[in-house]
Amino acid sequence: MIYLTCALDAEARPLIEHYRLKRDYTLPYTFYKGDGILLLVTGIGRSNAMLALSALMGYRIPTKDDLLINIGICGAPDTYRLGEALLIHQIMDTDRSYYPDILYPHPLRETGLMCVDTPVSSPCLSPVDMESGGIFQAASRFLKLHQMAFIKIVSDHFEPHKVTKEGAIHLVKSHIHTLESLIASLQKVSSDPSLFTPEEMEKIGEWKTHFTVSQGVKLEEALFYFRLKIPKRPLPFPTDPIPTSKRERSTLLETFIAHLTA
Amino acid sequence: MKPLSPTSPPKLYSHLYVEKRVLNHPQTRFIMEKFDRSAIVLIDHYKEVFNRPNQSFAAQSDSKKLILAHKDGKFLHEGSQYSDGFEHPQFFYASSIMGCLYDCDYCYLQGLYPSANTVLFVNLEDAFEQLLPYLDKDTLIATSYDTDTLAIESLTRQTLLWLEFAENQKNLHLEIRTKSANFKPLKKMKPNQRVILAWTLSPQKIIDRYEHATPSLAQRLRAIKEAVEAGWNVRVCIDPVIYTDAFETLYPDLIDILFHHIDPSTITHLTLGSFRMSTPHLRALKKLHRSDVAFYPYEVSDDMATYPETIESTILETLVAKARTYLNEERIRTWQRQS
Repeated sequence: MIYLTCALDAEARPLIEHYRLKRDYTLPYTFYKGDGILLLVTGIGRSNAMLALSALMGYRIPTKDDLLINIGICGAPDTYRLGEALLIHQIMDTDRSYYPDILYPHPLRETGLMCVDTPVSSPCLSPVDMESGGIFQAASRFLKLHQMAFIKIVSDHFEPHKVTKEGAIHLVKSHIHTLESLIASLQKVSSDPSLFTPEEMEKIGEWKTHFTVSQGVKLEEALFYFRLKIPKRPLPFPTDPIPTSKRERSTLLETFIAHLTA
Repeated sequence: MKPLSPTSPPKLYSHLYVEKRVLNHPQTRFIMEKFDRSAIVLIDHYKEVFNRPNQSFAAQSDSKKLILAHKDGKFLHEGSQYSDGFEHPQFFYASSIMGCLYDCDYCYLQGLYPSANTVLFVNLEDAFEQLLPYLDKDTLIATSYDTDTLAIESLTRQTLLWLEFAENQKNLHLEIRTKSANFKPLKKMKPNQRVILAWTLSPQKIIDRYEHATPSLAQRLRAIKEAVEAGWNVRVCIDPVIYTDAFETLYPDLIDILFHHIDPSTITHLTLGSFRMSTPHLRALKKLHRSDVAFYPYEVSDDMATYPETIESTILETLVAKARTYLNEERIRTWQRQS
């Protein structure tokens, strides 16, 4: 699943059209769903972003294969070109900084981003937005640091009054390809692969119900050993029914573990 | 902050996280010049990057970052019970680098650190200051303990700095342990008889399977040969031995290969030891689900996980017997559990 978040409806609109997302009314936020994509409009500001993100993460708790991308516009010094997409490697919030992990090659310019409380009209040393700190704080409770990315598109050189709704739509629309290529790169980052299939997980879970917690841990560790040693070999669960006698069950388990770790 | 160039950042150390207070340290400037295509991210303290919650050690292992920092506390720590202090009255290890360029499945660093990134403390001069009061008697310092310093020597120059410091300290003995094939930086140094270069070797099949991103056996053997020919004291460590189905041939063959390439009389010692790990580190290793080494049904005693005694004995008996065909008893050292 890919979680997309924007602060503004205008930023979301090109994404809704491109991914053909449908409005969903489950959450008390502007929320859209599509094929493998959830899009949330968080509203403006750090607190709104944090609350909205928490609601989204609670709505569907992410797995280790999911990604979160915050995309939106930002103000930036004039050393950054208007319309340029930036990938954020440091979010400088009020009292601390956050660091998404960038573990993949990409063609974007990287930079730090300052998360501020109000729109900035005077020159600042780095690009600014108003949501990234809140989004990072909420998302990092649920996702590993390499599963999230922040793309900011330069909308103005600290002249927020010049930013229009149409301008924001145009800027995000012009970077749909940037977003897609970033998603492709993020998906290539090797995460901890699942060692067992869902069917195997079910079988392991069922077996563990017949034993004590400690025996269950030993069984699981032996299965990990077996799988990691020769990854493609199927798990050799005994086909005989599990005995009802406690002693016989323990003997069966010991024999099975010895077989797995031989 | 320097924005990352849109063209081809290096795969290794694509990002340098630099503490603001070391930005002007000569070592920092040297590294920043060397990695001029990396993104420079200024930070207040290394822990805000290295100790972040929710990092993935496995994912980071394929794209390691470098953190340049200043160490405020102790550089020197007492040597551990899992290591050989060679009977020196004092044995410390120096912790000037955290994290390793290499990625060995059996390494305790995976259980020790929350990150696969490397922290380099650039103020090595403070380590020397801290060491001076101990040097009234024989002291062994392992300089490459929580890392492999020689692997990134071209970047850090820490091994050279240690060697230069050791030249004038008559009671200071250094052990520089490595899997690196990088002997080049030491070529210009005069060998110091109080310094041991200790190479860790494994059979090539074990290297392929468990020692990711490390030099091949042949490359390590070439480096050893260069070192002994240059007059350095060299110890070879076949430690940790990973017990596998093919143990009976893989490891004895390794000893044959070693002494086919290296004259046995030119090495000071051969160290042999089977895999062992403290249980807290092993627990952390298991959580990563990366390697079968973590899940072997070890015996646990006194918070240390080891192979069952019969297997441990088989490993040592087999390898000691083989080693005796090349070396006398005094030059074979083994790690064995305390009974």
